[in-house]
Amino acid sequence: MTVMTHSEALVEAIRECMDEDPNVALVWGSLMGVGGNNDHVQHIKTDFADRIFHPPISEAAIAAIATGAAMDGVRTIFPMGTASFMFRAWDQIIHEAGAAHYMSNGAVSVPAVFHVVHGLRGGGSVQHSQSPQSMLWNAPGIEIAMPSCPADAKGLMRTAIKSNNPTVFIDHQKLNKRSGEVPDGPYDIPFGVADVKREGKDVTIVAASLQVVHALEAAEALAENGIEPEIVDLRSLVPLDEGAILRSVGKTGRLLVVDEAPPRCSVASEIVATVAEKGMDLLKTPPVRLNRMPVHVPANVALEDFVGPNTDRIIEVVKQLCD
Amino acid sequence: MADKERFLDIFRHMILIRRFEEAVFDFHEQKLFGGHYHLYIGQEATGAAVMASLGDNDRIFSTHRNHGHLIARGVDPKNALAEILNRADGTNGGRGGTFHLADASVGMPHTSALVGGAVPLAAGAGFAAKLQKSGGIGVSMFGDGCFEEGVVFETLNLARMWELPVIFVCENNTPGAVLKSAGGNNTSNLPEGRVMQIPQALGMECHEVDGGDADAVDLLFADCAARVRETGQPVFIEALTERWPGNYFSFPSMVTGVTRVSMAWDGGSISGEYEDWFREHDPVLRFARQLIVGGVATFGDIAGIDVEVTETIEAAKEFALSSPLPGTDSVHSHVLAGEG
Ligand SMILES: Cc1ncc(C[n+]2csc(CCOP(=O)(O)OP(=O)(O)O)c2C)c(N)n1
Ligand SMILES: [Mg+2]
Repeated sequence: MTVMTHSEALVEAIRECMDEDPNVALVWGSLMGVGGNNDHVQHIKTDFADRIFHPPISEAAIAAIATGAAMDGVRTIFPMGTASFMFRAWDQIIHEAGAAHYMSNGAVSVPAVFHVVHGLRGGGSVQHSQSPQSMLWNAPGIEIAMPSCPADAKGLMRTAIKSNNPTVFIDHQKLNKRSGEVPDGPYDIPFGVADVKREGKDVTIVAASLQVVHALEAAEALAENGIEPEIVDLRSLVPLDEGAILRSVGKTGRLLVVDEAPPRCSVASEIVATVAEKGMDLLKTPPVRLNRMPVHVPANVALEDFVGPNTDRIIEVVKQLCD
Repeated sequence: MADKERFLDIFRHMILIRRFEEAVFDFHEQKLFGGHYHLYIGQEATGAAVMASLGDNDRIFSTHRNHGHLIARGVDPKNALAEILNRADGTNGGRGGTFHLADASVGMPHTSALVGGAVPLAAGAGFAAKLQKSGGIGVSMFGDGCFEEGVVFETLNLARMWELPVIFVCENNTPGAVLKSAGGNNTSNLPEGRVMQIPQALGMECHEVDGGDADAVDLLFADCAARVRETGQPVFIEALTERWPGNYFSFPSMVTGVTRVSMAWDGGSISGEYEDWFREHDPVLRFARQLIVGGVATFGDIAGIDVEVTETIEAAKEFALSSPLPGTDSVHSHVLAGEG
């Protein structure tokens, strides 16, 4: 095990995959914000100079170039930065990358990775705070990964690069600098396998990305009040591990889903709908969604925190749910 | 230099922007607002001179680097500074912050922090002016990086096809920037040639100007604005400014210090790493020198304007700091029109 930041774990995964496969290419902005004194960054920069492409501010064209290259087997990783910027490339990701396999009747696949950073970041205001996961989930043909910790980030990134589908890899601004233990050497974490990050018996909290961190913090406080939440970290939305969610709800009988997208048609809505369809009889109480409020994100950091789900609000909602 | 009042007014706005941006830097150092931000230092001449030829019916759209455009347009620095601190008395009620300063009451309805986002909006204002025969024009203030976004090309083409009264002011601050290949962050990357060749290829009237020379920008822009009002045809202006050394990475850094206007006449006091900047490029100092040499103002006039402006900014700081934060209830208002 080595302790490293979320971003460093991603860079390690990218380095390993570029080492393993000469068909992996990289569009190099500032690589996950990891500085040049990092061994992996240095290695990627010097040893793979011919597979790195410097991006102008052209999200749409680059997304489609990555898609076109992927059709010929070049696995292009495109870190797009702030998730809000990917809206410029919406058409290319949804209609070209996401549809090519279907439209070709299975003859063509698009092994490209679009990496974005979503969420409430502390002063991102309206146009730098988007959480596009639920909008993306509404589009067929795209895998969506949303890790919550460095170890998962690495294993999921390796899977994203090797996957024959286009993957949108969604990280969170506030996860980037968080550290955690990462197993040494290469390992893949398959998509569609949720991880129970904390065992509990009283309530199931389903979350992904930064909200898993918030849920874990909330669980500490709740445990002191005699409430034991079980935390299911989805890790990927597409494919979705329905079994893990239903198993946990079967155990606790209560469900809270925490999600940074606004509530209507959100990730939380989808999980609640799935449980309603397939596990209504498992629920002792009505399920609850905790989302960002259905408003834009104000610039002020205190108000930003107010509109988003956070640790305190999870505690509050779980207490009501278990009352 | 014929019109003394006009020049002094442009200079007053330039030094006001400079003092304003120094205050913003100071506030960020004190962690009084979150996130990253952008300063207009080094580009004051362009904004101040452009606004001198615009009237009430004109509409101006800006970017992430918007502070100077609002101040030049006449927005009270109190409200602009309050917005940057996300306070209730800010131009946007505190909800926009540094990226999004705008003020519909002075014809600046919306500021986009997405690269290229504001360019078509200004063409839309030209479209409305044409339909409504308001006599106004649309003005887009935008960075050289915008030429990397496809929507900018689409807009230039449309402005020509539909004959829209718009002036596209590209503020190219890449000259003098450390290139990305050397670890810096220049903002435009064309394999060769100039951004201006793109509107030229569409047959648009194009001009280049030294964006650090307030007099030159004023002359050119006044002429273009009059013609656009007359003909209804779009014009493109590339204002080239030397990159301010403090505009290096995501966060500005005050490497050139708080500006001493006396450097304009006391050349002997200039030394150090940024000597060239102070002597050749700083637009505030350049214009002060021009005014003095041209007999428009004396040292005393310049120093006097600076004192006045500094007091204005001190009062604005106090105002902004004492303005309340918007209440939590405010987050729900104005999602849709008609809901309050
Ligand atoms: C669509 C989009 N992509 C990326 C960014 C991130 N970004 C912010 S400013 C900037 C550079 C802009 O350069 P330029 O337009 O020349 O303006 P300058 O900052 O030089 O004034 C970039 C890439 C963004 N805001 N929007
Ligand atoms: Mg620029």
